[in-house]
Parts: sequence; structure tokens; C-alpha cells
Amino acid sequence: MTTTHSGRDEVAEAVKRLVIRESRLSLSPADIADDEPLNGAVLRINSLGFLGMLVRLEDELDVTLPDDLFTGKVFTVVSDLVDVVLRAVEEHR
Amino acid sequence: MKAWRSVLPHLGYDLPPDLTPERAEGPVSTGLPLELVRQSISMREWWDIPEEVVAQYRKYRPTPLWRATAFEQEIDARVPVYVKYEGGNISGSHKLNTALAQAFYYKRAGITEVVTGTGAGQWGTALAAACAAFGLRCTVFMVGGSLRDKPYRGSLMRLLGATVHASPSGLTSLKEGGNSLALAIGEAVEYARGGEGRAFCIGSGENYSILHQSVIGLEAAEQLQALGAEVDTVVGSVGAGSNFGGVALPFHARHRAGEAEAVRLLAVESSATPKLTRGVYAYDHTDATGSGPMEAMYSIGSSFPIPASHSAGLRFHGAAKLLSAMRHHGSIDAVAVGQREALDAGRRFAVSELVVPAPESGHALAGAARAARESERGVLVCVSGHGLLDLSAYDQLLAGRVRDLAADDGALAAATAGLRLVEADLTGVK
Repeated sequence: MTTTHSGRDEVAEAVKRLVIRESRLSLSPADIADDEPLNGAVLRINSLGFLGMLVRLEDELDVTLPDDLFTGKVFTVVSDLVDVVLRAVEEHR
Repeated sequence: MKAWRSVLPHLGYDLPPDLTPERAEGPVSTGLPLELVRQSISMREWWDIPEEVVAQYRKYRPTPLWRATAFEQEIDARVPVYVKYEGGNISGSHKLNTALAQAFYYKRAGITEVVTGTGAGQWGTALAAACAAFGLRCTVFMVGGSLRDKPYRGSLMRLLGATVHASPSGLTSLKEGGNSLALAIGEAVEYARGGEGRAFCIGSGENYSILHQSVIGLEAAEQLQALGAEVDTVVGSVGAGSNFGGVALPFHARHRAGEAEAVRLLAVESSATPKLTRGVYAYDHTDATGSGPMEAMYSIGSSFPIPASHSAGLRFHGAAKLLSAMRHHGSIDAVAVGQREALDAGRRFAVSELVVPAPESGHALAGAARAARESERGVLVCVSGHGLLDLSAYDQLLAGRVRDLAADDGALAAATAGLRLVEADLTGVK
């Protein structure tokens, strides 16, 4: 399956909405750059908060992410997360 | 039993969110299987138990429930006392109920080695057994003093294939800090970060642990119904809270769902670690590294110097965030019991019911003895484990050498002084 721009945009917006909420910020998704660090000066995502966020992302995108999707992976910036979730959405939707 | 029951949809409020420690920065990674996260935060009530876990449960479940008439006479009870006994599996305690589930989910998530910290060794033994069942490597950091006092705990874990380190181990950067169990957990967290395929696995206090333990209360409710018995009080001991949560919360869920009358949920803690009766409801660390999120919990402070006791399983500084929230909202009663009263209740249970309870369970029995003089209809008590590897504690009781070590007011105040109270941030309350 090829990635459509709208598919990536939809996932990216959902991811950004959740990282904003998880960091307890009042920003819009457009304010968050793809290369914004997940745990840095603006966003404050810890490992457990990250996981809770993924489960809420499942509800939002109506997809079940596989249990091993994140095992052994390190996420630095927002687009790292968008890439992995997008792949899972395409494979498991 | 084919499904676990979550109490979360019956609370009527959200749990306060965890807080990120100020000093944590950098990339995010995780080894926690998503299914455990779903079980921790989802409002789904019933969760199918995976077939592989059901098959393991069948080896020791259903666990026995009986009316302890001889113990009733021993304690001069005015109502029937029913015992739910979780000590009959190889780990000797209820902890196997969640260890099996956790090992299953970690294996499915691609993890090859789980690492944990343990106080009394019951959790470490349970995880070692679960790893043996599902083909995972297991590394356990056990509180050194506890391992010296109970060398057969180490023997049992090694027999089951686990690698056991006395904490402090010298294998991590942690040499001291917090109490001894928080240090062992901290060592496990750090060690787990250092190897591919490794994940840190925590024992008691997480919502998913308490969900898995719901088999205790669900089974007990069915067994009581089969006996035509009624109880108005459910009692369990609280370290972090998984056996208490397991036996008690299904009764709360039944009531909230309109299936049964309300029962009193009575948590019995050690007077040496009186978080529910004398602690503060505040954000605190769960381990000595301080790198994990801070959770809203009743706590005596992660830096509180907890004295050595015979109930190492109760020596945790905080109560599970789920139980803490329920305590805060008035759904859970709590009493603190000294170890002399607890061990004596254990002795009386042994001579009357011919089962040696763990010292931790002795606290529950002491609480049940008190409740049996106040209850109108009957008491259910969870005896979470056996005490056959804790006989030195009973030796000391018989020799008159057991001392009560109630927490000092000044030390409690000092250890909780810097904590941020939850009252200031009840964002989750509906």
C-alpha cells in the first residue's frame, strides 16, 4: 500500500494533538514541527505517558497497534513516532 | 475463570495523571507491552484472559475458599470468617496471578529477558516461575538483607532458572538511596536499560497487576455464592496493594454495577509503613532512580527509612495509585497493624486452621480478627501467601523477640515534607 499525503497528514495531526495534550500545552498541531523533540524544551513525554498516548491514538485512528511495534525502538522527534504509527495504520487498518 | 474484571469504569472519576520528573530528558523508549497499557487506562470492564494464561491458571486455580470455624473460635469472632487462600502455587503467593499474565504479554511483545526488583522474594519467585512457563530469561534484584534472612527464596528462584542478585549488587550505579525495596527496583530499572531484549517488569501496584488479581475476588464471590454465604467486609494486606485490590475490588465493581450490596473494603497495612493511615496523598517516585513518572499515591515518602521487619512484602513506601484514589474518595477503609499482632494472628491461624500464613497475610488476619468483632454478616479475608519460608519470624515470635516498629512522626513529616499534594491538582475528577 502506498502512503497518501492525506493519510500521513491525518496521522501526523493526531500524533501532534496527543503529544500536545500529554505535555499539558495549549497549542495547535500546526505549532509543532515534525522535528520537534518528544522530550525537550517544548514537549514533555515520558515513557509511560508515551504508551498511554499510543493507546488513545488507537481509539482516535481506529486501529490496533501490535504489541511489539515499539519494543527496542528509540523515539527522538515527533516524526519518528508518526512514521511508525503510519506504518502500523497501513498494515493493520 | 475466563475474564478479568476492571474496576476503572465503576469509579466515577479518572485517576490523576502521572507527572514527568523534572530531570528526565531525551529520547523516549519503552519495553512495556501495549496490552498492559490498555488494561491500565481503558474503561473496558471485562478482559478475556489469554488461553495460554488460562492454561497456566488451571494448574492451581480455583484456589480454596473455606469457612475458618476453628480460627473464628480462636479470635472470638461474632460472625463467620471465610478465607481465600492464594499460597498453594509454586511461588507461594498471589503474585503468580499477574506474573503469568505479564510474562505472556512481554513474550508476545518480543522481549526475551525480564528484570525485576523484589523485597520478600515472593514477586521474584512468581516472575521466575512465570518466565519458566513462557520461556523467558529472568533476572531478579532482591533486597540483600531479605535474601540473607530467607536464603531458600533465592534457591527457589534459581531452581526456576532465574539469575538472582542481592541488592545493592554493585552491578549498577545505585549504591544507596530511598528504602531498600525502592533501591532494588531502581537497580532492576537501570539494569534493564542496559541490554537488548530486556524489559523491566514491576510487581504489584500497577493497574494491570490489580486487574489480573481480580481472579481472586471474582472466584471468591462465586465460591461464597455456592456456599450460600454472605459477607459485609472484605479484608486484605497492603504492600502496594495487589492482593487487596484483587480480592476487594471485584466486590466494589459488583456493587457499583447493581449486582450486590455494598461491602466494607478493609486494607491492612504494617504500622512500620503506614501510608494509608498516616501518609499523605501526594505525587511520589515509585523507585530509587527517580527517573520514572511520579504517581499520585498515599505515601510515607520514598526517602522514608523503613526499618527491617518480618513482612518485607509490606515494606513499600506507597500504595498503588488506584487504591490511593479510592482511599481518597472514601471507598476504602484502612488500619495499621504491628508485626507482633500480625505474627500472633498468623500463629493462631496456623494452630487453628493448620495453614502457616506469610507474615504479610498475618496482618490481614489480624485485621480480619478486628473486623469479625464489628461485622454484622461475615468477613472474607485473603491469605495471600504461605509462611513456610518465613519460619524464622515465627521462631522470634515464640521466643518473645519480635518488636513493634511504629513509624516515627518526625521521620514521616520529614520524608513527606517536599512532596506535592494531590489536592492541588485534581484535574482528573469528573
